Amino acid sequence: MTWNKIESARREDIEKVQLSRLKDTVERVYSLTPFYKEKFDEIGLKPEDITSLDDISKLPFTTKKDLRAHYPFGLFTVPMNEVVRVHSSSGTTGKPTVVGYTKADMDIWDEVMARVFTMAGATSEDIVHNGYGYGLFTGGLGFHNGAEKIGATIIPASGGMTDRQLMLMRDFGATILAATPSFSLHMAEVAKKTGSNYLKDYKLKAGIFGAEPTSSGLKKEVSEAWGIDYHEVYGLSEIIGPGIGCNCKESELLHVFEDHFYFEIIDSQTGEVKPEGERGELVITPLTKQALPLLRYRTGDITSITKEPCKCGRTMLRMESIIGRADDMLIISGVNVYPSQIEHVIANTEGVTLNYQIIAEKKGHLDKLEIHVEVSDDIMSDSLGEMAIIKKNIQSALLNNLYINANVILVQPRSLARSEGKAIRIIDKRKENV
Amino acid sequence: MYRIKQLSIFVENKTGQITDVTTILSQNNLSIKSINLIDSNDFGILRVIVDDEQKAKKVLDNAGISLKISDVFAVAIDDHIGSFNEVVTLLSSKNINIEYTYTISNNHNGAFIFKVNPNNFNQVIDILQKNNINILKEI
Repeated sequence: MTWNKIESARREDIEKVQLSRLKDTVERVYSLTPFYKEKFDEIGLKPEDITSLDDISKLPFTTKKDLRAHYPFGLFTVPMNEVVRVHSSSGTTGKPTVVGYTKADMDIWDEVMARVFTMAGATSEDIVHNGYGYGLFTGGLGFHNGAEKIGATIIPASGGMTDRQLMLMRDFGATILAATPSFSLHMAEVAKKTGSNYLKDYKLKAGIFGAEPTSSGLKKEVSEAWGIDYHEVYGLSEIIGPGIGCNCKESELLHVFEDHFYFEIIDSQTGEVKPEGERGELVITPLTKQALPLLRYRTGDITSITKEPCKCGRTMLRMESIIGRADDMLIISGVNVYPSQIEHVIANTEGVTLNYQIIAEKKGHLDKLEIHVEVSDDIMSDSLGEMAIIKKNIQSALLNNLYINANVILVQPRSLARSEGKAIRIIDKRKENV
Repeated sequence: MYRIKQLSIFVENKTGQITDVTTILSQNNLSIKSINLIDSNDFGILRVIVDDEQKAKKVLDNAGISLKISDVFAVAIDDHIGSFNEVVTLLSSKNINIEYTYTISNNHNGAFIFKVNPNNFNQVIDILQKNNINILKEI
C-alpha cells in the first residue's frame, strides 16, 4: 500500500515534476535570499541556466556553517508572519541550526510522514506510541503530525519514564512504536524483566525507528526484542525533519520522496557528483520548501542510492542506511573507510568488546593502520594461540569486508585514551604532519 | 584437592609491563611462588602462582589488568633420570593431551607444573595417583 500514487509513478513523470519544481526553487532563492544571489553572481550563474536536472551540479552547495552564519532566521525566504513553526538542532558545538516552516511546508511534512507510516503498514486502525522527544527536536512532532494525517490514534508519550511508557503501551494496546532504536532496545530490556514471555502483553506489529545511525545488527536486535517489523526512517531538520525516506517490507533500502527532495551523491573531497550505486556524501535539495529552501545541502551522511525498482511497486530512488559521516572518513592506501565500518567488523568478531582505537600513521610513503583492541577478561585466555586467533580473526574480517590491511594489537583494558570519559576512537597521526 | 590456581595475566610487549604487575602484587603483600613468561611478537602471557589468587585477582582487576585463573597441577620432581618422562608417557598412553608444562623450584627438589584440558583434570589426577606419582597439594 502506498499513501500517494506518485510514489509508484513512472520515473520520467517524477523527473518532470522534479525539474519544474527545481526551476521554481532556484528562481525563488535567487530573488529572495541575498546569500544565494551573491553566490550565483560570483560564479556568473543565472536561474535560467538551469534547464535540466543535470544542471543541478552547477548550483552552489549549502552547508551547516552557512545556516549557523545566518542564525537564527537569516536564510528564511518568507516574512515571519508566514512562519508557523520553528525547530532547531541541539547545537552542542556552538549556535544551533534553526529551521522554519510555513503552513504549506507543514503540509509537505505531514504528507511525507503519512507515506512513512503507510510504508510501515499503519492505517487509521492503528494506535501509534510516539516515544520521540517532543520539543525543538523534529522527531516528536514530525511523527505526531504524520500519524494524525493517516488518522491513526497517536499517544504522545515523548521520551523518558520507561516504566510508564511500557504501561501505556500495554494498557492502550499500541500497535506501532515510533522511537529511537536505542530507547526501543532499552524499553525491551526493561520489559523483559517481567519474564521471558513479556511479548504477550503487547500488541506491537511494527516500529519506525530513526534519528541514530544503526547497524544491521542493532536493527535485528530491536526487531527481535519486540517481535516486530523494523522500518528505518531518515531525516534531518535542515531539509524537513523525519520523513525524507523509509524502507518498505521488501528490503532494508530506504525509499526517498523524490517529488519533494532531489538527491545526489558526491565525492566529499572534490564535490563531484558520483554515479548511481557509488557511496559518497548525500546532498539534498528540497524542491517544494517555502520558508527555508536550501540548494544542495550537504548532509555529511555517507550512503549510496539506486534506481533499481523495488518489489513493492514504488519507483522512487532507494538509499542504503547511512554508513557513516563524511568528516570521519579515513583513506587508507587509497581505500575509503569509515570508523563505523571498522566498528561493525569488530562488533561481529566473537568475544571481542567494543573498546577499540583506530590509529592511522604514515610509514615512509605508506599508510599504516593499527587497531588497538582492549583485552577483556572474556577474551583473556592462558593460551597464546587462542589469543593470536582473535587477532587474526579481526584482521582477516577487516581484509575480507573492507579490503584494508590492518595490524590488530591487543592492549590492556582501559589503556586506551579517553576524553572526559568518552573513548577517543580515531587517532590520525598523518594529519599532524600536514 | 591438587588443583593449583594459576593466574594467566595479559602483558603488552612494552617496557615496564611486567614491573606493573609485580609491583601491584608486592605492594599487596602477595607472595609469588612461581612466574613464567611466554611471549609472541605483540604480547605475552605471564603465568603466575601466588599464595592468594583471589586477592591477586581483585587487586589486578582494580588496576585494569586482564587475567584468567586456570587450574594446573604439580608433580614433585623425583631426583632420578626419567621422572618427567614417566608422567608424560603415562598421560600420552591414556590419550591425554598436555596443553603446557614448566618447571618451578620450591623448598624441595622443585616441581613440574602441568596444564591439561579442564574436562580431563579429575581423570588425570586419578591416573597419576593409581601409578603412585607424587602429586603436590601445594607448591
